Amino acid sequence: MAAGGAAPEPELELELEPEPPRRGPAAEGEDEAAAEAELAAELAARRSAEARRLVLSPRRLSGPLPAGLSQWFPALEVLDVSGTGLAELGAELLALPRLHTLLAKNNRLGGPGSLPKGLGQAPLGRSLRVLNLSGNRFAEVPPALLGLRGLQSLSLGGNRLHGIPPDIQELRSLEFLYLGGNFITSIPPELANLPSLSYLVLCDNKIQSIPPQLAQLHSLRSLSLHNNLLTYLPREILNLVHLEELSLRGNPLVVRFVRDLTYNPPSLQELAGRTIKTRNVPYAPSDLPENLVRYLSLASNCPNPKCGGVYFDSCVRQIKFVDFCGKYRLPLMHYLCSPECSSPCSSASQSSTSQSESDSEDEASVAARRMQKVLLG
Amino acid sequence: MEQPAMMEQPVQTETWKARSLEELIRILHRIFAEDKVSVEEVQALMESYESNPEEWLQYAKFDQYRYTRNLVDNGNGKFNLMILCWGEGHGSSIHDHTDSHCFMKILQGNLKETLFEWPEKKGNGEMTKKSERVLRENHCAYINDSIGLHRVENISHTESAVSLHLYSPPFDSCNTFDQRTGHKHKVKMTFYSQFGERTPCGTVVPQENN
Repeated sequence: MAAGGAAPEPELELELEPEPPRRGPAAEGEDEAAAEAELAAELAARRSAEARRLVLSPRRLSGPLPAGLSQWFPALEVLDVSGTGLAELGAELLALPRLHTLLAKNNRLGGPGSLPKGLGQAPLGRSLRVLNLSGNRFAEVPPALLGLRGLQSLSLGGNRLHGIPPDIQELRSLEFLYLGGNFITSIPPELANLPSLSYLVLCDNKIQSIPPQLAQLHSLRSLSLHNNLLTYLPREILNLVHLEELSLRGNPLVVRFVRDLTYNPPSLQELAGRTIKTRNVPYAPSDLPENLVRYLSLASNCPNPKCGGVYFDSCVRQIKFVDFCGKYRLPLMHYLCSPECSSPCSSASQSSTSQSESDSEDEASVAARRMQKVLLG
Repeated sequence: MEQPAMMEQPVQTETWKARSLEELIRILHRIFAEDKVSVEEVQALMESYESNPEEWLQYAKFDQYRYTRNLVDNGNGKFNLMILCWGEGHGSSIHDHTDSHCFMKILQGNLKETLFEWPEKKGNGEMTKKSERVLRENHCAYINDSIGLHRVENISHTESAVSLHLYSPPFDSCNTFDQRTGHKHKVKMTFYSQFGERTPCGTVVPQENN
């Protein structure tokens, strides 16, 4: 993101001039080698033990960064090589002990050797805080960067990612994660293990569902989900009470009440299990085969507080509107123990006691009235 | 405060050229001191200013989570001139302009503007998109409530965007609309900074952006 603000002191920031025009046609290999040598010479000539920022854009680079970078600029904290056409970032970065910000957007990175091996083990692994690789060609999150334990901000926007690796959870310090504008179809629940994540951008992808574990991201302040393929959100999203920004537009979210989608009647085993649990029929491990004892321990409580029932595997998906932080209307997926069991969303709804058809219509009109109140209030 | 009448036809045939942000503001003050102001004239004036980041960088304060509104000049009460900073992916909700005129000039990057019809009175369905376009650097767009509602977004995942907005008369609240239902919701607008100084306000109200 652009910083805006006071310009840094000139003697501590180096910006290279755009390259001079080419002399004339020459063998391409010669040209590239010559250009690389020229760049190395130019940087060496401007070497500085104090320079903290180096901006190479918008110079077009024909080859990798010169190996002498860390010798010429040992105090470098910020390196901006955006828009230079770089196809790989190499070992020349590893020896920059103070580098905390690396901006390499709009390049040709994405192939196998794009990031140097040993990134996590180098001093850079602990010092790097901001990494911007947006506008490149990554088809997967490069494994090399998962070792950056100190990384606070990562952008891979506008690449070609099809998924997010579960090992993303290794980036323990991550606060800002921008993955908008890719081809991501699903989110690994491990993403929820990032303890400091406060800004998560997943807009403009192909995501069909959100794992309920995302509700564990207690520090999440901003969640961007617009322009995806979401038809519903899990009810656990209600737990994100610190959320200040939420974008959902451009998703095929269900607007109306949807009646029972599918219902598999419970098995006899399930019915027996329910009876045992709800009637508190006493049993001891010696009374039952081990597998049934284990089965009985897996009982879940129906989310409907008025129901008080239990279920094992049989559940009904019911898609409903529920208020969120008192302001939003989201369709959520409720796992409920039977079609008779419709969860009232708040004490305002009086109608639900039992039985299907009339029940859901009453609920529909009550909820419609509440919807108007919430949105216009 | 007496507001000048805004006219659709040009009042004079003068074509202004603002050679700096300071000059733009000076000319705006002159124009708005008159009884009648022409929409075309203001739009042409805003467009004539060639964006120079050195002149507005001090107002361009970005926020990590959402776009910011940074007041530049309060036009003697006749107009508000402000700079909006949009990080990658940042966008506004669909909103109206509280019976005011709104000019929006791009200073850096690009912004997508999507126009919507006003929802029906008893509307309970998806809002109707009228048109959309991407506004380029230095272009100045105009909208008012009779034209419709709009959503403005920075759809780039790699570049931030900066825009210069003029609202006349000034207003500090507007309605936001839920695209799925057409329901509206009044919101108070605040400034992230004023005259280059950060002005934090109280608790932030959660924003649903739909």
